[in-house]
Amino acid sequence: MGQRQELIKGGSDSLLLCLLGQQSMYGYQIIKELERRSQGYFKFKEGTLYPALHRLEKAGLILGKWQLLTNGRPRRYYHITAKGRSKLAVERLQWQDFLKAMDLIFQPAGY
Amino acid sequence: MTTALSHYLEVIRDNLRIDLPEEGEVISELETHIEDRLQEMKEAGISEEEATKTCLGLLGSAKVIARQIYEAHSQGSWQQALLASMPHLLFGILFALNWWHHISWLSVVLILVIGTAIYGWWHGKPTWVFPWLGYSLIPVAVVGLLLPHLPKGWTLLTIPLYFALALWWLFCIVVQTTRRDWLFSSLMLLPMPIIIGWFLTVAPDGRLTETSLQRVYYFAPWIGLSFLTLALTIAAFIRLRQRWLRIALLIISGLLTLTMVAYYAGGRLSLSTFVGLILVMWGLFLIPPLLERWLRRGGGRLKRRRSYRPPVQMAN
Repeated sequence: MGQRQELIKGGSDSLLLCLLGQQSMYGYQIIKELERRSQGYFKFKEGTLYPALHRLEKAGLILGKWQLLTNGRPRRYYHITAKGRSKLAVERLQWQDFLKAMDLIFQPAGY
Repeated sequence: MTTALSHYLEVIRDNLRIDLPEEGEVISELETHIEDRLQEMKEAGISEEEATKTCLGLLGSAKVIARQIYEAHSQGSWQQALLASMPHLLFGILFALNWWHHISWLSVVLILVIGTAIYGWWHGKPTWVFPWLGYSLIPVAVVGLLLPHLPKGWTLLTIPLYFALALWWLFCIVVQTTRRDWLFSSLMLLPMPIIIGWFLTVAPDGRLTETSLQRVYYFAPWIGLSFLTLALTIAAFIRLRQRWLRIALLIISGLLTLTMVAYYAGGRLSLSTFVGLILVMWGLFLIPPLLERWLRRGGGRLKRRRSYRPPVQMAN
C-alpha cells in the first residue's frame, strides 16, 4: 500500500493533467473519476489533491474557475491550459518509454 | 456542518497564511468537497457521526494540507522578488554611492517608499509590500532624532508624547501585519537592529552632530553593503517555498548582517551594545509569533475573519 502511494505521489501531476486533458473537473469529481477509471487502484489521500491542484495552477498548467451549478452550489472547475497540454504530451511520452523499459526488464530473458 | 468539520477547516485557515482572497477560495473549495462527501455517505445510509469521522480520515491532517497549500502559493515570481528587495536596494545604492546627503535623492527615495507602502497596503497587502512598509517608518524615526535638538522645555514635553504615539503606531502596523502572517512582521522589522547598529556607530551619544555626519561619510560604503545583503536576503525569501527555510534564512542573514555591522564599525560598537542588538534581533523572531498566538486567542474582535463568496459564473 505504501509503495502504491509512492507511485501515485510520483505520477500525481501526470495523472491530474491527463484527466483534465480529457474533461474539466472539480476536486471531488477528480477523486471519484481516478478511482473509477483505475478500478480502485488509484486512491488519492483526499486532502493532498488540493495542494497538487494549486501547485499545477500556480505553474500555469491548469486554471481553476468557479461555476455556479443549477442547484445553486458553487464549484471550482479545473481546466487544462495550452502549457498544460504541452507538458502532458511530454509526460505521456516519458511514461510510455518508462513502461516499455519496465516491460522489457520484467519479460523473461529470450522472449 | 458539524463542529468537528468546522474546527478542521478552522485549523486549515489558521495555518494557511496566504493572501486573503486565495485563503477564502481554498476554504470554500474544501467546504464543497466535504459537503459532497458527506452527502454521498448519508445517501449510503451512514450516520452523520460516522460520516464525519470517515470524511476527516479521508482528508488527512489539517496542518499538513495547510502547509502543502502554503508551499504551493508561497513562492513569488522573480519580479516580486525584485520588487520586495527594491527598498533595500535603493537605500543600499544611496549609501554605496554616498548620495544619502543629497536632500533631493533622499526625498525621492522616501516618497517612493511611502507611496509604494500605502499602495500595497490598500491593495491586499501582497508579500512584496512588507519590506517597503518597514522603511516607511523611517520618517517617524527621523522625527524622534530631531526631538533632542528642540529647546529644553519642549524636549521634556514632546519626547514622552512622541514615544507613546510612535510605539502605538508601530504596534498597530505590527498587529495588522501579524494578522496576515507573523513572519512578515519579522521581515518588515529586520532592518531595524541593523539601522540602530549603524546609528549607534556614528552617533554613540544618540545625537546627530556634524561629527556623526562625517562618520556617515566614512561608513557609507559598509552601510550600503549591509542594505545590499538585506536585499539579497529578501529576494531569496520571496523565492523560497518552505516556511522553515524562510525563517532560517531571516535569522541567519539578520545575525550575519549584524555581525558585519560590528566588524566594520571597527570597535565603535561596544560588546554590550552588540549583545543588546542581538537580543533585539531575537525579539523580532519571538515577539511576532507570540503576538499571533495572542491575537488568535483574542476572539472575533481581533481575529482576521472574513466571509468569502467565490467569484462564480453560471455553468453552461
